[in-house]
Amino acid sequence: MSEIRLINKFPADEKFTYDKRIKLLRETKIKQTEEKARNGGANEDDYGLIVQDEFDYKLKPNHPNGSIYGYKAWTENYCAILDSHPLYCNPLDAFVGKGFLFLERLRPADKKWNPAYPFDDLQKLFDKYNVISGIDNCHHFTPDLQIGFDLGWGGILAKLKEQRELHDETHYEFYDSEIAVVEAIIRFLNRMADEIKELGDKENNPELKANLYEMSEMNKKIAAAPPETFKEAIQWMCWFSMLSRTYNRGSAGGQLDEMLRPYYERDTEKGILTDDEAVFYLACLFLQDSRYFQLGGPDADGKDMTSKISYLCLDAADKINIACNLTIRVHDNLDEEFFKKSVAYLFKNKQGWPRYSSDTALAEGFMKCGYPLELARKRVAAGCHWMCMPGMEYTMNDTIKINLLKTFEVAYYEMMEDSGEKSVERLWEIYKKHLKIAVDATGNGIMHHLKYQSKTQPELILNLFQHGLIEKGVNITDGGANYYNMCVDGSGIAVVADSFAALQQRIEKEGKISFEELTEHMKNNYEDKDGEYIRQLMQHSERYCGGNTLGDKWAKKVSEVYTSLVRDLNNQHPGINFIPGFFSWSNTLGLGRTVAATPNGRKAYEAINHGANPNGGFRKDGAVSAMCNSIGAIQPGYGNCAPVQLEFDPGIVNDEEGIIKMADMIRTIMNTGNTLLNINIIDANKILEAHKDPFKYPDLVVRVTGFTAFFAMLSPEFRQLVVDRVTSVNGNKIKTEENQ
Amino acid sequence: MKALITDIQRFSLSDGDGIRTTVFFKGCNMKCTWCHNPETINAGSELMFYKLKCIGCGKCFETCPNGAHSLENGTHIIDRNKCVNCGKCAEICYAEALVMCGKEMSVDEVVAEVKQDKAYYDESNGGVTLSGGEVLCHKDFAKELTEACHKEGIKVATETNLCFAFDYAKELLEKVDLIMCDLKIFDDNAHMLHTGVSNKTIIENIKKLDSLNIPFIVRTPLIPNATDSMENIESIANFIKGMKNLRRYEILNFNPLGEGKYKGLDRENKFESARPADESSLSNIKSKLDEIGINYKIV
Repeated sequence: MSEIRLINKFPADEKFTYDKRIKLLRETKIKQTEEKARNGGANEDDYGLIVQDEFDYKLKPNHPNGSIYGYKAWTENYCAILDSHPLYCNPLDAFVGKGFLFLERLRPADKKWNPAYPFDDLQKLFDKYNVISGIDNCHHFTPDLQIGFDLGWGGILAKLKEQRELHDETHYEFYDSEIAVVEAIIRFLNRMADEIKELGDKENNPELKANLYEMSEMNKKIAAAPPETFKEAIQWMCWFSMLSRTYNRGSAGGQLDEMLRPYYERDTEKGILTDDEAVFYLACLFLQDSRYFQLGGPDADGKDMTSKISYLCLDAADKINIACNLTIRVHDNLDEEFFKKSVAYLFKNKQGWPRYSSDTALAEGFMKCGYPLELARKRVAAGCHWMCMPGMEYTMNDTIKINLLKTFEVAYYEMMEDSGEKSVERLWEIYKKHLKIAVDATGNGIMHHLKYQSKTQPELILNLFQHGLIEKGVNITDGGANYYNMCVDGSGIAVVADSFAALQQRIEKEGKISFEELTEHMKNNYEDKDGEYIRQLMQHSERYCGGNTLGDKWAKKVSEVYTSLVRDLNNQHPGINFIPGFFSWSNTLGLGRTVAATPNGRKAYEAINHGANPNGGFRKDGAVSAMCNSIGAIQPGYGNCAPVQLEFDPGIVNDEEGIIKMADMIRTIMNTGNTLLNINIIDANKILEAHKDPFKYPDLVVRVTGFTAFFAMLSPEFRQLVVDRVTSVNGNKIKTEENQ
Repeated sequence: MKALITDIQRFSLSDGDGIRTTVFFKGCNMKCTWCHNPETINAGSELMFYKLKCIGCGKCFETCPNGAHSLENGTHIIDRNKCVNCGKCAEICYAEALVMCGKEMSVDEVVAEVKQDKAYYDESNGGVTLSGGEVLCHKDFAKELTEACHKEGIKVATETNLCFAFDYAKELLEKVDLIMCDLKIFDDNAHMLHTGVSNKTIIENIKKLDSLNIPFIVRTPLIPNATDSMENIESIANFIKGMKNLRRYEILNFNPLGEGKYKGLDRENKFESARPADESSLSNIKSKLDEIGINYKIV
């Protein structure tokens, strides 16, 4: 268990540079990560959480089932947590702001949704098609932290009180809860400032003592007042991060360089901030939490937003070099030097950051939903595979997954078990029918969620950072947001496309096997007589990402139909915009676990493909270009993502020329229809060793899906998934007898 | 017109400028003892057998008209004296343990594949690289392919051993955008010993190459005890230094990845135990090339 107040760790005469402090802070972080991993780990973001044994909170339920529902219970529990939450403080750090728990996870896992608002009929369909409906999920949209920078917690409180006076009693539940929450936050921050001062009194090292006193003063100030300096703004962000995480893991992110630029410019002009200090503060921000931030990209007029601070952000991430979720938005006018520098850091550190998004594909797509270009450009990288306009939209991004493969299985066995014709054409018709049922049910689920979410879990923190919500006095799900853009992801497109292609090629074009024979082998999981031979036959048919293959044609067809079905939800639910994407997040194992053997040679219950990526072995040369061309061709094209995930051996880049080639590759991928690009650079042998003994490389970071994580934190099953992905690309670099 | 192609490798980063697609021709006029693409040496299609991929289904035993497949002490072996490379066993081996190396392709078929990555070539100043085997063994096809690529706006580089009459080679070389030619060993006797041919024509051709006004790269693979002596590297570097169209001298560190292919062909690999040169050897080479004052790259 980690210590949470790390004072008197150094002799009184010890001196510190910023680099030394970063190095020591990083070492502590790696140690804390190891502790988290030994404590069970997690298949998700790092969140900057600290495992400790000093503080525990016991949920105070307001329902006999042991859970909490509605404004009052969430408010009371959250305020109680803040009133008892201890301080985490490392005198080496520039900031405080570490949290220990998420209130949302203190609820019984199967009792999250308020049982007063059942959806049993929908649930039957979700079970049938293995849909992750997103009902009861929270916080997958982006706050605009500028609201906090402008008002501070005190200003927000004043605004809440002022607006309460202007509304009738139907809004009092909202206002009273929000007011209680913000008061608790201010109380908490004041207490933290006092406790930091007490630590300062006890600290023996004068340099660290001075830092603690300064930290205390700064925190006292921003407990209620808005931040005024670069340093205060980052401290404010650190607390926002902790406060929203502690409530419900809430999102943040945004255009980091632009958010901080005014403070940076003002402070450097005044001579109260050096670049070394700025880099140190930014490194401490990245250390505090692995939030998603965007750098670079066009402003509303298309002018590149890259500035000095963008460079400093990269330098800071390089110095701290841990799990970072930085996204560079690639566009025609992107500062070339900045772009090249980001690529150089990606290959130097091999920690999966930064990743890249395409302004062209994202903006053009979002405009197809009817938004102007200026708004499309405000939609910044904010999550694993998603973009959001900070403070302007409610999205449910990344919370909804329709298992396209389970839907295929339902269709396949319906065809095989009735007396009708067995053909690919007929299967396609049946598949479309079931896909529509699954998509429509998902749309109805989203509407159910919107209708009753505030009775389950109001967004008491993120509501405060939405434009117009305080004025309206309603929870974001109750119609207060400016826009409702609901993300609906399909998962498993590669397995479905490869299955259709294998059936068409092997049964109908080549006549190698019949539907009946194949079905028998599938039912026996290809483990019967000739089963493996048939599995190889099916698996080696023309696959998705092969380059103008049958698999590619089917993937496009599936994408087109899926996209039109999701877009049709707009007609069914006017006023809400539904946006399709292809992504699995870390559900590849779970979604695969519900589907038996498939016609593409996949064995029963194996994982589905990751995101929009192909199945392993899609081409003999594993050509990145072929893969990305195909992924570019299946983008739904309405502003959400079907990301590309690449795995490279470190040997791919040895010099400056190699960096330039990689930069050219990234630009091409971003210019050929693709929306988002994640890159892992991992030595296959190293990851195999780390898989055996995760603590051998406790600082090894991988980009798991959209997020980066410490490899040691992942479960063995999930580590295997990452290992499989890496070795399927870098397999020839593995030290085996055959490869020696 | 058709040629026997062993592979088309897209997203190649080490065969010339930018991002490239490399087209490997089958058949070579030299017999380098270390060749890391041994499947490209012979001019005809050949059966390759990757034992680890074999699922033991036995279908090839039933299919082979000559009884070339058998079990010996529980191990699947191929009697290469009986195998006529008809490819019937590979056709039904879906596990891809048995693979026919060499596919007859037309220029149109090759272009259809390579042009899929045009966006990558355009961004990176890349293109198509003709490789082998020896490209000049397929000079007319290579020329037609180069012209077809140019029509698509795709640049073409060729790799070649230059062991041909210059006027013959020139018909292709003057069409391409970059020439990458090998000069493996400067001493003619040693060259004869390790490659089966004299290097006199090659050396003369490199001198003439400069007159084509097309950029070229001279390359030497670093083969232990064959090409890796400092004397050899120094002689080659001094010979090519100062040529006006020479872009650079490339030293290609030993590539051990041909091992699996030798096994797949049931052929002896004389360099089975050889390993790439270590950092200290490479550092000595760098110092020497710096001293000579030639632009170089070690790959």
